[in-house]
Amino acid sequence: METLALLWDGILAATDPAIFACTILGAVVGLLIGALPGLGPTAGVAIMLPVAAGFGGVAAIACLGGVYYGSMFGGAITSILLGIPGDAPSVMTVIDGYPMAQKGEAGRALGTSVFASFVGGLLGIAGLVALSVPVSRYALAFGPTEMTAMMCFALSLLSVLGGRNAFKGFVALALGLWLGMVGLDPISALPRYTGGSMNLFDGLDFSIVAVGLFGLTAIFTSLEANVDKPVAKYTFASLLPRMSDAVQTRWQLLQGSVLGFFVGVLPGVGASAATMLSYALAKRLSPTPEKYGTGIVEGVAAPEAANNSASYGAMIPLFTLGIPGSATTAVMMGGLIMIGLQPGPLLFTENPQFVWSVFGSFAIGNLALVFLTLLLTPLLAAALFVPTAYLYPIVIAIVVYGVFAIDNSTFNVMLTILAGGAGIILARLDYPAVPLILGLVLGPLLERNIRRTLIQSQGDLLVFIERPIALGLFIATVLVLSIPLFLKLTGRKKIAADEAEV
Amino acid sequence: MTYGLSNFVNHGRVVGLGLLTAAAIAVSAAAAEYPDKDIKMIIPFGAGGGSDTLARTIAGVIEEMKLIPVKILPENRTGGSGAVGYSVVAKEKGDPYHLATVSVSFFTTPLLGGSPVSYKDFTPLAAIAQSPYIMVVPTSSEYQKLDDLKKTPRFTTGTTGVVSDAALLAKMTSNALGIQIDSVPFDGEGEVMAALLGGHVNVGFLNPSEAMAQMKAGKLRPLAITSAERSPAFPDIPTFKELGYGEILHTQLRGLVMPADVPPEVVTYWEGILQKVATSEQWKKQYIDRFHDIPDYVDAEGFKQVLERTNARYETMMKELGIIK
Repeated sequence: METLALLWDGILAATDPAIFACTILGAVVGLLIGALPGLGPTAGVAIMLPVAAGFGGVAAIACLGGVYYGSMFGGAITSILLGIPGDAPSVMTVIDGYPMAQKGEAGRALGTSVFASFVGGLLGIAGLVALSVPVSRYALAFGPTEMTAMMCFALSLLSVLGGRNAFKGFVALALGLWLGMVGLDPISALPRYTGGSMNLFDGLDFSIVAVGLFGLTAIFTSLEANVDKPVAKYTFASLLPRMSDAVQTRWQLLQGSVLGFFVGVLPGVGASAATMLSYALAKRLSPTPEKYGTGIVEGVAAPEAANNSASYGAMIPLFTLGIPGSATTAVMMGGLIMIGLQPGPLLFTENPQFVWSVFGSFAIGNLALVFLTLLLTPLLAAALFVPTAYLYPIVIAIVVYGVFAIDNSTFNVMLTILAGGAGIILARLDYPAVPLILGLVLGPLLERNIRRTLIQSQGDLLVFIERPIALGLFIATVLVLSIPLFLKLTGRKKIAADEAEV
Repeated sequence: MTYGLSNFVNHGRVVGLGLLTAAAIAVSAAAAEYPDKDIKMIIPFGAGGGSDTLARTIAGVIEEMKLIPVKILPENRTGGSGAVGYSVVAKEKGDPYHLATVSVSFFTTPLLGGSPVSYKDFTPLAAIAQSPYIMVVPTSSEYQKLDDLKKTPRFTTGTTGVVSDAALLAKMTSNALGIQIDSVPFDGEGEVMAALLGGHVNVGFLNPSEAMAQMKAGKLRPLAITSAERSPAFPDIPTFKELGYGEILHTQLRGLVMPADVPPEVVTYWEGILQKVATSEQWKKQYIDRFHDIPDYVDAEGFKQVLERTNARYETMMKELGIIK
């Protein structure tokens, strides 16, 4: 009850004109980014980060959050109308959405996806609000020892569920871990890999690297992806969600939302995996599984509910423990740090006003997106045909200017462009960028916490298994790492691969 | 060839011009026309942080009280743990139109070899407040007063970065009480606080503003304060000196510096301005009351001595830790 009152206060605070405007701006940008093929939530948040950081406080994070869940709404538009996934978390929406469009039910599919996204978002926000306070209270129990175990768990999930090519994933992860070592050694203060450069003393700022690696690279690589398919036809009236569809898909909506949320909470796994699992679950539980893939509303509802609720689930470890479990939340953490807030256990006690206003903005944004998506779908569909030669230079200019504006540093601009270039090479060689950025973020956290633990214990390694939370997480890590072995022994196929975004 | 030669000559002319300008500045300062243009206040750290707030508040108060005829323009130049910003100021040798505030990195980054400039490349002007540290334990701990710590041989404390005032104080307290307080480096004040409240470290040396909130909430118990006298903001917290450990005396001075070799008239000018700031109602309201610092005016000479002493302390600690030779 008290939590609801806090959320209500947060919603009221988020109706402040400036915060509301930033929320809507973020949501619209997210819709557009989600709809553009190749650009996903990570790229979107990375592109908006430098701009949003300038808004400061609640407005900045409300805006970044808007981009994040807005892109979950937007991804479906391209998936349904063109049969091309707008971003990785909407890949599963293509499977039933596009056949529906071909049957002449594009409007119905879009309406269902909007409704499913809204329900997923609503349940996701409910979960975020209900769980984050108890989790944050418990989070103080997470000292260096527990954090070490948590990082191991996150990295194990990332390596097992992380992608099609485990070897290349490990290489990218190792690269990220190495880049994370650049700068002053956090414990003994000796410079590492700085080449004597003053600019590298503080290490590589992961949010700046992410802006290049996700924002710029996505733009560079999708310059080649031309949309030349015809857009499926629909009428505006058909977009409106139907009551009968809502009732028909109620179980898929619920399953998708709940499953998506909990998959999202797990560090190292993200919205894309959530959509795959939720689609697979809906199909398995259905009395008529053979209908999936032929264009049914249930097949659209399940993944669309899942990716939205997963985006809120992923914010729990970020806000309560200060651990970004996915590339998108890693970039959001950069935003929090830029506006002078340290995400972690104390965020809720020391800045409750901030946290609840941000959560309030999520609730407003989620509702607003229902109308925004319905109203803007014709425009967004048209935006897909704006030549990239006009659209992308503008975006690149905004990114570069924004990065410079953060702290007037030309070094950061160069770092962004360099990261963007490196991202193209990685993409060409088919190395995933997500393990790299997570290595860059989680690696230093892992190293610091191992060394802090050992200072506390005066070098005694037994502390890692003497503390119950740490022991539990280490056991979970071992279990996750043995999944591939188990699947091999029982002769089953690989687990669903998580393509581009985590 | 001729082109190269004429280039050389031009270059020489430019240098000559520069020297003339420098001389002109010195003369005009001596002629008491200083300052005759806007003054840059370089902030070597990001917007919104502690150093940023300090610098902008000082600039704001000077502007509000109309103490100088020109503007102070704050500018954030971040990077290299302060090295970038401090280098910008130090390279303007003799130019009284660049200001900076002092921070922990002002000493530590140069000592670590991470900066081409050190405290010797600056002229201290004056300090207008001092920020003490408060030694605290969680309320749940058994230690009621400082001497209770002697019952236990070993403690841990959290510090922001490896070389910090908290680490320095841990060392001083260890020596004075005959106990061992090991410093665990964290990445920010928030992390240190979380580790302290979560029971992952046993004692803390905190800034007044950080300690205040948690002491009010009943989560932390103060044991002693590191200033020479009790702080007006915390009249109930005894000083280390009172408790018989007079050697534990260490506060952070909030002061301003300019590049090396600015004329002595300029230093006197700023001493006058900063003394007015230090005793003003605006400064008390906007900074002292907000961050619970101790109001204190220290002139250029006194400030210089504190800077030298602080640097020596850090240097000794880093040598003891084996960080530098």
